[in-house]
Amino acid sequence: MEELGGGVDQVRGGAEERRMKMKVMVAIDESDGSFYALNWALDNIFNVMTSTSTIGTSTHENEGMVFLVHVEPIFHNYVYPIGPSGAAFYPASVVVDSVKKGQQERSAALLSRALQICKDKQIKAESVILNGDPREMICQAAEQMQVDLLIMGSRGLGKLQRAFLGSVSDYCAHHAKAPILIVKPPDEHHKKHS
Amino acid sequence: MATSKDESSEKAQPQPVMVVAIDESDHSAYALRWTLDHFFTAGNDSVFKLVLVHARPSATSSVGLAGPGAAEVLPIVDSDLRKIAARVADSAKQLCIKKSVNNVIVEVVEGDPRNVLCDTVDKYHASILVVGSHGYGAIKRAVLGSVSDYCAHHAHCSVMIVKKPKTKH
Repeated sequence: MEELGGGVDQVRGGAEERRMKMKVMVAIDESDGSFYALNWALDNIFNVMTSTSTIGTSTHENEGMVFLVHVEPIFHNYVYPIGPSGAAFYPASVVVDSVKKGQQERSAALLSRALQICKDKQIKAESVILNGDPREMICQAAEQMQVDLLIMGSRGLGKLQRAFLGSVSDYCAHHAKAPILIVKPPDEHHKKHS
Repeated sequence: MATSKDESSEKAQPQPVMVVAIDESDHSAYALRWTLDHFFTAGNDSVFKLVLVHARPSATSSVGLAGPGAAEVLPIVDSDLRKIAARVADSAKQLCIKKSVNNVIVEVVEGDPRNVLCDTVDKYHASILVVGSHGYGAIKRAVLGSVSDYCAHHAHCSVMIVKKPKTKH
């Protein structure tokens, strides 16, 4: 029997104490869409909690908790030989290490940017870096941490593009057990996707 | 016309609007309850303005090609559908009142749910659309179609899909 942790408990919790301690997970990557989603979510959703808890002393400013998760695709330790020699089937360990380090630095920079945004809005946040396929890892992480809400950005791909390129937000919308909020980027050009 | 993004960023604006889709199923009732519990606490004055929208199937689409007897059946089917829709809207409103959320707009619109929901979002310049999900697998979704899927891709605002947790026996 699968339980949805926070969500079900809150529904059964009765009407006495309804201070929402909502555990929210936001998926972060390099795209602007995910940072827009983070900002949007912090503005609109955590506003709810600050407005209800401004009674007298505000010792608990925000009951919510944000988990920022960034998934790094696994770096495959092989390269295909291009030249006629075909000797280099595995890159030297130096290359592998430097690529891995570059990836880690990039992830860390992304997450520190996101953490800074949360700190500016006075919201508790924690970050997690995972490795693997983004779709599965995000769904798994949401389930393991029993979050109340999963927030993702969306690249705004059309149907055809989505079929070819794949969509992480699509996958998560169908497979994640938690409620999911997909934040659309603002329409700059207002293109019609078929 | 990209007004939906401006609504939530300006603070001087009237309340941002949250549209919740309801139908007869358990899933949307769960979605409504979940939303009320998480976003409308303390009941007094919440941030979002709540709009409930129910898309009622039209009589002609339900009856389909019935043949010569259709003309007599249609009014009966229509009044039946109206009654069901009223009941759905009523129970949703009761749920809101129970959670002490007053000042809720309830709309019952006739037509295909996908279009109705997207049109309602545009009409109220909503910042979030909340839908339940039947939890269909890939095949069922391809055959029956998925309203939540359509809305997630076509609505002009952020979409929240709330799933009812499955209880496996």
